[in-house]
Amino acid sequence: MQIKRHIDALTRMDWLLFGAMVALAAGSVAFVYSASYHGPGQPVPNYYKLQMVWFAAGLALYAAATLIDYRVICQWAAVWYAMALGLLVVVLLVGNRVHGSKSWLGFAGLGIQPAEFAKLAVIVAIAYYLFHRTPEMRRRWPTVWGSLALVSAPVVLILAQPDLGSAIVLIPICFGLMFVSGVRGRHLVIVIVLGLAVMPSAWFKLKEYQKSRLTVFLDPNKDPLGAGWNLNQSLIAVGSGGLTGKGYLQGTQNLLGYLPRTVTPNDFLFSVIAEEKGFVGSACVVGLYAVLLFSGLRIAAHARDRLGMLLATGVVAMLFFHVFINVGMTIGLMPITGLPLPLLSYGGSFVLASMTALGLLQNVWIHRRVY
Amino acid sequence: MIISAPFRDRNPRLAVIATIVGVGLLLLLTDLFRVQVVHGSRYDSREEAQSLRRIRIPSARGEIIDRNGVVLANNRPSYDIVIYLDQLGRISKKTDIVKIAEVNLATLSAALHLPVTLSDRDVRIHYQRRRPIPMPVWKDLHPDIIAAFAERADSLPGADLIVTPVRQYPHGALAAHVLGYVGHAEQTDEEELEHFYYYQPDSAGKQGVERAYDEFLRGAAGGRTIRVNPSGVNVGEVGERKAAVGDRVTLTLDTRIQKIVEDSLARVSLKAGAAAVVLDPRSGEVLAMASAPTFDPNIFNPGVSKEKVNAIFTDGRSPMLNRAIGSRYAPGSTFKPVTLLAGLETGVINPHDTVVCAGEMKIGTWPRPFRCWLKPPGHGALDAMGAIRESCDVWFYQAGLKTGADAITKYATELGFGLPTGFELGRDLAGLVPTPTWKRVQKGERWWDGDTAQLAIGQSFLLATPLQMACVAATWANRGTRWQPFIVKRIENPSGEVLHEQQPEVRGRLSASPQNIDFVRQAMLGAIQAPDGTGRLAAVRGLTVAGKTGTAEFDTREGRINRVWFIGFAPFDDPKVALAVLIEDGVSGGHTAAPVAGQILAGIFQKNLEPVGGVATDAD
Repeated sequence: MQIKRHIDALTRMDWLLFGAMVALAAGSVAFVYSASYHGPGQPVPNYYKLQMVWFAAGLALYAAATLIDYRVICQWAAVWYAMALGLLVVVLLVGNRVHGSKSWLGFAGLGIQPAEFAKLAVIVAIAYYLFHRTPEMRRRWPTVWGSLALVSAPVVLILAQPDLGSAIVLIPICFGLMFVSGVRGRHLVIVIVLGLAVMPSAWFKLKEYQKSRLTVFLDPNKDPLGAGWNLNQSLIAVGSGGLTGKGYLQGTQNLLGYLPRTVTPNDFLFSVIAEEKGFVGSACVVGLYAVLLFSGLRIAAHARDRLGMLLATGVVAMLFFHVFINVGMTIGLMPITGLPLPLLSYGGSFVLASMTALGLLQNVWIHRRVY
Repeated sequence: MIISAPFRDRNPRLAVIATIVGVGLLLLLTDLFRVQVVHGSRYDSREEAQSLRRIRIPSARGEIIDRNGVVLANNRPSYDIVIYLDQLGRISKKTDIVKIAEVNLATLSAALHLPVTLSDRDVRIHYQRRRPIPMPVWKDLHPDIIAAFAERADSLPGADLIVTPVRQYPHGALAAHVLGYVGHAEQTDEEELEHFYYYQPDSAGKQGVERAYDEFLRGAAGGRTIRVNPSGVNVGEVGERKAAVGDRVTLTLDTRIQKIVEDSLARVSLKAGAAAVVLDPRSGEVLAMASAPTFDPNIFNPGVSKEKVNAIFTDGRSPMLNRAIGSRYAPGSTFKPVTLLAGLETGVINPHDTVVCAGEMKIGTWPRPFRCWLKPPGHGALDAMGAIRESCDVWFYQAGLKTGADAITKYATELGFGLPTGFELGRDLAGLVPTPTWKRVQKGERWWDGDTAQLAIGQSFLLATPLQMACVAATWANRGTRWQPFIVKRIENPSGEVLHEQQPEVRGRLSASPQNIDFVRQAMLGAIQAPDGTGRLAAVRGLTVAGKTGTAEFDTREGRINRVWFIGFAPFDDPKVALAVLIEDGVSGGHTAAPVAGQILAGIFQKNLEPVGGVATDAD
């Protein structure tokens, strides 16, 4: 019976993973509010309310992604992938330009960013593709080319927006999946070396602001009032938070607008948390992500089949890359890219994509083989 | 790796992924620890450096009052209209602050019917360097304009009315040279500049008491700490330390006597300058000190036209110069009592010896005779009393030659000639007492008998300031005690605590015998009270005045003029007042200076303004 199966599924869920997700969602609403709070008497933009709406919607997707057997979902992999590519093409044709890149479909603020969903589609597509290759085939070059071909199309389309961060994040996902699926290490190394060889020519294809972001990452004081501003202000925000922080709604870097107002709720939400809650707060955030990521890896390890393992690995790779890049950029460890922090950063598309991804993890876990 | 262990049995490659994730998160955590905990304070101070601004608030200067509590300098409110450039709306790269400010200033200007005097450059510089503090547009406005502004204040964005303290001298030019004036502090303490991001300078005393006691009068600057956003806009106050009002300085000056002195000087038709000093001979307290021409220290306030200030500075008669302490003149015959005392002390002169004045006499090998001011046939036979009374030069040539330069300079020095007085204001000029050694060194010439003769009548190279001469008069008055003249009696901080109380100080005593001093005093009494005394115009009905006139010839480019003097004291038996009057270009001491002294003394004693008390200990 359908209902009984679902109740059964609930009892098999990974509640720790769910708890961490809820904690991050709650923190998100609280700190999106704080990031848009600019002092008493000033109107607070309703981002935090919208974020709650996104979480509510995300919960529906989460339930669907949890309860519909992942093997059924993956049978439609080609459709998801085609839809993702289609949306990426559409956004290039009719998308709205926000902060210089054409990445939005629909009305700004309420629209969606196809690139975020493309990440999911790529995970599902490559996982499904690799699942269908025999171990023998996976040890040969064609599998590598096939995987790379699957990832290249969305990478190119996303680069065309241009959204460097979202395009780049697809590559480690792809490599993670190939690696875990048993592609020969030698092949991967060769591809990476080839890729690095092409890098210098790619540099010339970058837009000026993208270049300056990368050079500023190497030397933040090079242009402290221009490209280095965000990095410096973020560093000051995080650093001045100290051990215990300045207190909720007390982060002066954000209050006074030293952190860039337009992107703080998205890209620099972590800086606000770190400023207001100090190292204690940042460690909690990192800890919650550790719970998500290691739960994900445990799920991959306990997956019923290779498809489940690949799906879980892809999700972990995506989330980890986002967390590492975003937190890393707030403290100068990584260049500034517009990669949001999963669940915490304001933004509908990535909240929905992240929750769907976490739903897939639950899905794999529920259908694990129990010994 | 521990974190990868659980995955190894199932998929060794998953273990690799787990290791990467674990190391990545650990890397974030350690770097966060480094930034937030290890270097937290560094970022904390960077955060403060970029968002906190300290603004210096200048203090209000302390009051200056006279010995009776009459206010001579205080502060009045100046109503200034300012604009806050940071409140003129959001300034983007496209909109220029100067344009926005221009529009706002034009609106203000039209509403108040005042011309805009700020240049674009002023606006830009203020915007760049001092954004959160108000930019003054008009200072010290008339109440009508303030009322007009108040009516429209709501429709004039960014504009505000602020009150700033402005130095005020309620009596205008009265005692201007003593009080001095204030201007902007020129040099600012480097350390202070560093401490404050926005520096609002104090006013600093530029002359007189304002300058000499600036340290006390200026008070302590306060400060405000504000938070600014990245555009430099003030978003809130973090802290404030109030500025401390300066200390109150009480002078020994008596405003009423000062007024009498200045009025008396004003009645003389001055071709050049003049000065007068009135002392209490029992303590050295300066009761009045005047210099003419004078100036109104209020003109240095904001709002007064620059032309007025320039006119004062470029006036050829140097109205800013305090002649009472800042100029040296030959004392002329006012020096004769010194020569007499030296002669009496050395025993070469007998009070009753007579000398016949024929109007001139020959000295040494000098081809031309030395002349008396009274043309031949001269004064005829005179004793010492008569010589002082009629100020006979020939008598003193002879007395001087008998006494010798050494003895004369000895007693001159004991009376304070050639010595700094110890007065607090100005440069405290010592004047000059020429000696044979001095002449050889300075002029490369030997000392002739003619020099001694000239010294005896107060000419030669002798120089003294009017203040020094007033001190000489005071020393004669009190029979030989040389007090240090002073003008600041007391300094109190705003809570009334006395920081400094000046006690009278003795700088020297005449070593002469009381009999000889008394004899000289008697001679000086005769010079005023006798019908043939040269100083008879200084006499005051009902008062015994003693003194000496002086007329010293002085060569200028335009010709020879007379520096005319009067020194004296009264009442003779128990002197309460000693004074010196100098007029740079007069007829003679008796004709020009003595009447001024007479008016001063009459004014003081007829109104009973002389300081009460007998000795210094209860001089208050």
